[in-house]
Amino acid sequence: MNRKPTPVVQTAGLCKTFKDFWRRPRVEAVKDLNLEIRPGQIFGLLGPNGSGKSTTIKMLLGLLYPTRGRIAVFGKAPTDVAVKEKIGFLPEESYLYRFLDARETLDYYGRLFRLPPSVRKTRTETLLDMVGLRHEAKRRIGEYSKGMARRIGLAQALINDPEFLILDEPTSGLDPIGTRQMKDVVRGLGRKGKTILLSSHVLADVEDICDQISILYGGQQRAAGDIKELLSKQEYTQITTPRLSQDTIEQLRDMLQRLENKDVVSVGAPKHRLEDFFLQVVEDAQRAKITTSGVRAGGTLPEFLSESPEEAASAVVESLVSAGSTRHEPAAEQIEPIPLPDEPEPSKQVVDDLLSAGAKREQAKRDEPEPVTPSEPAAPRPPVEADREVIDELLAKTSRKSDEGESS
Amino acid sequence: MKIFWDILRILTGLVALAVGGVLRLWQLIAGGVAHVYAKTPLGRSRLGSIAQHTISEGIRMKLALVFLVLIGACVLGLPFTVRGDSSLTGAVQSYMSYSLTVVGFLLSILTIFLSRSISDELVHKQIMVLMTKPVARWHYILGKWLGITMLNLSFLTFSGAVIYAMVHYIKATQPPIDEIYSSTQIGDSNEVEAFSFDRQRLEYEVLTARHGTKYVPPDFSAAAEREFQQRLEEGFYDSVSVFEPAEERRRLRGKQEARWRVVPPFDSRVFEFKNVLCDRSPNSEIQFRYKPHVYNYPIDEILRAFWIFGDRSKGAKEYRIPTRHVIGRYQTIKVPADCVAPDHTLTVLFVNTNPYADPNFVRNPEPFFLYKVEFMKSRPVECLFVVGSFEGNLVRLLALMMCKLMFLAAVGLLMTSVFSFPVACLASFMVYTLAGLRKFLGESIDQVDSDTMTVISAFKAAAQSAWNHDWGAASESFQTFVVETVGEVLRALFFVVPDFAYYNGVETLVNGRNVSLYWVLQGIGELVLLQTTVVIGLAMILFHRREVAEVSV
Repeated sequence: MNRKPTPVVQTAGLCKTFKDFWRRPRVEAVKDLNLEIRPGQIFGLLGPNGSGKSTTIKMLLGLLYPTRGRIAVFGKAPTDVAVKEKIGFLPEESYLYRFLDARETLDYYGRLFRLPPSVRKTRTETLLDMVGLRHEAKRRIGEYSKGMARRIGLAQALINDPEFLILDEPTSGLDPIGTRQMKDVVRGLGRKGKTILLSSHVLADVEDICDQISILYGGQQRAAGDIKELLSKQEYTQITTPRLSQDTIEQLRDMLQRLENKDVVSVGAPKHRLEDFFLQVVEDAQRAKITTSGVRAGGTLPEFLSESPEEAASAVVESLVSAGSTRHEPAAEQIEPIPLPDEPEPSKQVVDDLLSAGAKREQAKRDEPEPVTPSEPAAPRPPVEADREVIDELLAKTSRKSDEGESS
Repeated sequence: MKIFWDILRILTGLVALAVGGVLRLWQLIAGGVAHVYAKTPLGRSRLGSIAQHTISEGIRMKLALVFLVLIGACVLGLPFTVRGDSSLTGAVQSYMSYSLTVVGFLLSILTIFLSRSISDELVHKQIMVLMTKPVARWHYILGKWLGITMLNLSFLTFSGAVIYAMVHYIKATQPPIDEIYSSTQIGDSNEVEAFSFDRQRLEYEVLTARHGTKYVPPDFSAAAEREFQQRLEEGFYDSVSVFEPAEERRRLRGKQEARWRVVPPFDSRVFEFKNVLCDRSPNSEIQFRYKPHVYNYPIDEILRAFWIFGDRSKGAKEYRIPTRHVIGRYQTIKVPADCVAPDHTLTVLFVNTNPYADPNFVRNPEPFFLYKVEFMKSRPVECLFVVGSFEGNLVRLLALMMCKLMFLAAVGLLMTSVFSFPVACLASFMVYTLAGLRKFLGESIDQVDSDTMTVISAFKAAAQSAWNHDWGAASESFQTFVVETVGEVLRALFFVVPDFAYYNGVETLVNGRNVSLYWVLQGIGELVLLQTTVVIGLAMILFHRREVAEVSV
């Protein structure tokens, strides 16, 4: 019998009303909120300013008390000390002690978790490496830039190898390198089975990272669910290929018009993303060993954050440099529907369907028994090659068809 | 000119080196202490971690260092500015009095400022991160209190050590006012010996721990009753309109005692001391302290008298001591301790006569100066004996000071867990002031307190007078109402605010009196175990109910 695992977070009818000096209700920050975050989920909490995201997070951490409703974190009250053993929290700003340096900060929080000195030391050094601040570890936090303080904020949130990580605006104040590292770390942690609650205004970050979201407005939940389901747009198809000649594009247009009676919405050349370009420049500077008082390379997820020793052995998230130098624009941006900027990933299935529809017509006309079935996706192959193959095949058939048409 | 600048540069460099060296030394010591502390069970606990963090905060934020410098400047600088009455004893007494008072005051201020760290963390929101760690609210409050207490303890230890060293420095460097040198020829060498009453007084009356026993006056009830009965028979009270026998008996007892305190010329008085629990060996000694009062005497007049210490009938050794003491000043007579009887009683006989007028006693007899001597009730005669060392006394005094600081730290944390920084500090200062002035305020309230009116009756009287348009009476009653109300509020506060003046042992130490262990235990019991526990408990409850994050909608 499969037992449903205990949710990491469960709220029921959660309300928070802020009162004024005379105890009169002033603002209803959270209204009747029902959340459920299951183990291993990366949960995004979205909403405009003042929608109740931070208030919800503070209630989950026991920093604010709910006016009504119930909260259970790991099945217990959020103020329970045992619950806090399993939590890591990165607040919206790094509220750290200005008079401590980075190493002392991590050591202090490690001591609060009663980690043995050797473990504390190892984790401190590993986390400093991860956030790229090992060389600046002797400087006091008060001297750090906002981004550097955010990095130490992240490191302190991970010092106890938390099962549940709460990140409030994690990329706020970070440079593109830090943002990328932060996302990589979060993704890496997600892969290791950590449960993550993320609140952010940067929707692209949430979209990149989260698998479940909840959108709040006016303290109430307006939408919730699996991010892919919520964002998918079945009415569009996206195909990504290497550069095509104008003739080929025209032929494709004709073919689509002929086969599907549809127009191509947009055709364009792919671009590098500014983030990738920026990271490339920084990587070159680092190779040239240009001195900086800021952050050095980092982003490698510490091994202690793994769930098991086996996983620990392979638990390395791509470093900043490799991520920056190898990643290119996803196919979704090559052909971009103008009115709808959020495109799903290119689906070979759709191409296959398209192809099979054309093939059926051909079969009906020519009785050529060579249908490409939908159950033949190019999944194991690299996407670009798969696309090329499909397009080549499509073009070959189209040219045959036109030849036959001419001969007949 | 160039040489001057070169020398200046070198001197500046040397000063910089010295300062750097001191700072480095401080770092090494602090680091070493922290390292050792981290290995102790307390250091490994969450409480200990928060306590250590509080200490680091105090030091790193320069607050504690500023106070340390101030304390250092005071305890090191005062010997060169405070001279007392120009005697060695006066210099040491003045130095100890000023330095200990200043240290107590500065540490109290430091304690109040250190305890504001909770409100600081609330304002700067570090507490939002801290409270997401496995730290219970009571851990946090208790850890902070522990940190402040540990810092106070180290500062107090440092101050005590410096004060002790400086006392010995003054003793070694300042000459006494009455040093007499005598040389003795031993073989070929000539040994010079110095003797000084000033130095002796310092040793026996200041740098020691003496316990004082006050004499028990005789019971005058029988004599008073006889006088009362005689007056009754004589019809003395027949013309008195309001006659209260009990009050009259009390008055007559007082009169008898006042008569007893006055010793006419050639008369004598016996002082009986009980519980003189001293070492009765002849090598040790007891001190008899009194302040002679004589009517209409010239300035610096000398009182000649004859004393007999010890009662042979009780098995004590008897000592006959003639004295010449300046009138109007406290005087001390030192007697071997075997004058105390085995039952630990001491009998002292005072004879108001001039032994130096006896031709059998001195070659050139003086005249009898016929003074009427009074042993005033406000200046009681005392028998003092050494019960401990100055070092032990100083340590016990520091322990008493520590008790007060522990209570103050708890008050500071209570205030700061409820109010923000300036309000919390002001409230803590109020409690500190109230505790310091409690005795004085209590006496003031008792003096202005109306015996006939309570708060309610004064209010009623004021209202009644106002209703009758008798504004003069209304104003008077209203004033009484205000005074009574303030008095009642203060009395209520006195239940929770301790009497710091009672636990001020500086004067006791300076006078070479014993700061008793019982006193210290009383301080620990009342100030720490009772009042600090209550205040800390209250702080924990209030902080537990408090939301530590701010509203941001």
